[in-house]
Amino acid sequence: MASVTGKLPAFLRRREWLLAILVLLTYFLFNAQRPDNYTFPKLLNQTRVYMVDVGFMALGMLLVLILGDIDISVAATAALSATVMGVSYRGGEGLPFWAAVLLMLLTGLACGLFNGLLVIRFKELFPMIITLSTLTLYRGIAYIILKDQSAGSFPAWYAKDLGYGSLPLMGLEVPIMLLCLLAVLPFYYLWLHRTASGRRLFAAGTNLTASRYSGLHTDRIKLTAFAMNGLFAAIGGFFLTSRTGSVKYTIGTGFEMQAIAVAVLGGASTSGGRGSVAGLLLALVLLTALKNGLMLLYNDAFILNLSVGLLLILVVLIPNLFQALADRRRILRQRMQLAK
Amino acid sequence: MSTRQFKPLRLGRLLRNRELGLTLVLLALIGLIGLRNPAFATPGNLQFILGDTSILIVLALGMMCVLLVGSIDISVPAVMALSAMTAGIVMKNNLVQADTQVLVDGALTAATVKTSTPLPLLLLLAAGVGAACGLLNGLLIAYGRVLPIVATLGSQYILYGLSHLISGGQAIYRKDMSDAFIQFTRGNVLGFNSKVLIMLAAFLVLMAFINYTRYGRRLYAVGSNAEAARMSGINTRAVTLSAHTIMGLLAGLAGMLYASHDNKVTQDMAMGYEMYVIAACVIGGVSVTGGVGKITGVALGALTIGVINNGLTMLRLTGNSEFWKKAIQGAVILIAIITNVYIKRAHERRVLRERRL
Repeated sequence: MASVTGKLPAFLRRREWLLAILVLLTYFLFNAQRPDNYTFPKLLNQTRVYMVDVGFMALGMLLVLILGDIDISVAATAALSATVMGVSYRGGEGLPFWAAVLLMLLTGLACGLFNGLLVIRFKELFPMIITLSTLTLYRGIAYIILKDQSAGSFPAWYAKDLGYGSLPLMGLEVPIMLLCLLAVLPFYYLWLHRTASGRRLFAAGTNLTASRYSGLHTDRIKLTAFAMNGLFAAIGGFFLTSRTGSVKYTIGTGFEMQAIAVAVLGGASTSGGRGSVAGLLLALVLLTALKNGLMLLYNDAFILNLSVGLLLILVVLIPNLFQALADRRRILRQRMQLAK
Repeated sequence: MSTRQFKPLRLGRLLRNRELGLTLVLLALIGLIGLRNPAFATPGNLQFILGDTSILIVLALGMMCVLLVGSIDISVPAVMALSAMTAGIVMKNNLVQADTQVLVDGALTAATVKTSTPLPLLLLLAAGVGAACGLLNGLLIAYGRVLPIVATLGSQYILYGLSHLISGGQAIYRKDMSDAFIQFTRGNVLGFNSKVLIMLAAFLVLMAFINYTRYGRRLYAVGSNAEAARMSGINTRAVTLSAHTIMGLLAGLAGMLYASHDNKVTQDMAMGYEMYVIAACVIGGVSVTGGVGKITGVALGALTIGVINNGLTMLRLTGNSEFWKKAIQGAVILIAIITNVYIKRAHERRVLRERRL
């Protein structure tokens, strides 16, 4: 984690504090502007739109980013899996719904595996390039399957209860989707940060060569990370579809960039070895609070993206600048000592 | 194993040239598509492809500079949109319509003539805006130590947002454009489309810059070993900054070509185009880790993508060709990139074999 100032203990220097402060700032700022419409319960309701599908995709992206790789095809993977689900269910005439969902998850897994195989087989091509082309490939397949049609008429519990339903919890209406995401997080956290197989990702991402020489099957780790990323993308597509009610081949266009933005905001670095689940969750909350507020004030997708871009750059840039200042000061101090 | 046999052979030496391999692949592609549809391999269509691909080549040249120093720029389409939008708004605001009579086929006909800010000024403005965007990216990456993908991902969002803000949600259409601008990419000078001429100019200038000047060679130095370059007195940050500025400038110029070609400027212009630009560079043999790549290779890579794009339309697979083009483009590009890897590996093996004396 980039140190903001040299004096603070390591625990307080974590990116998460910066994010938490930003979350509170955003909330109170918009709450002051729109005290009626920008309230905690309404925000909680909007997490369905801004948090869950992107959140699952970001969970997968985090694994790949920790390895120092990147996967741009996640949104296309989600679209292809959702397409497979929609077409195999065929509005009740095809497979039973559970089988369609299973097929969907398998499709996501296969897409991820294919990415992973290409990545470990063609090391001179960067994952960015490979997934850039599989992005068009997966969307192309979805397009071949669906053409310009859309597939829908899903069971009511899926399109209605899961997509729009909420459970009363402690006097608040919590969307069921959000509960699903929150239920996964503890297990994900324990696996990534507290088990050997999770920590191996960090090891491989920090120094791939050293990890290989110390006996890690780095190729297998990469393959697993990409496959899991595909699976998470499919899960993201599952929730996205339950929210939109139908599938088109264009579904979720641009979500890959949002997933990367969330993971990077949460402390992951595209050069690998870094990332935290707590940071990711805070980044998701921050983006939800920000997007919801901006939508209320301006109702304009471009302004929304502009602020996300600014936020992304500032959150990465500011600690870097402080770090550069600290480095310069340290060098000056050393020079002074040498001069004596 | 006797390896001297390779040296006197001119042909072997020629075959070792990667650009030649790519040219052969390109010619084979043209031949194969031409077999299926003879209309494809005619000079007229090939010239059309060249014109169509010019924008991609201009952008790929800039992307090559950025990739050479080990950076990347995915904000290219947003830079194009912002530059074209800025110039478009200036053009729209200065537009003067006049009714005159024009001589058509020996008879006077009533016509409306639209004039506006001179075209060279508009091009300069767009290039300037583009260069400023590139400079900003470069500052973030070289001096702010933000990783290239993150920085340009952020600036893509920001620049698209800005082009939306300055336009007030209004796209620029043909009616807002001066005649000179509409005719800009349609006119023929010396038998060549003006897009091709601009592309050739950019190509020659960059070739001279990259291959024959000290500053150009520094791009390779920084990309192959930044630390060594710094130790030998090269200001690596300034080099990265200039690479991004060149990219921005070319993107600004390409934005104008794109706008004139399409006869419109929208807020989400060219969205997703960065993928073709990067793919053109990779097919052309540029390494994404930096330091490797030739300018002729990049042009050939872009042409390969142009031929594939046009060829998929001309192949007339079952029925709707636009459908197939959209559907299998990704697979074709993936195959092209992977074939390229195999050619490269074979090439490296041969070099190693020759060295083992």
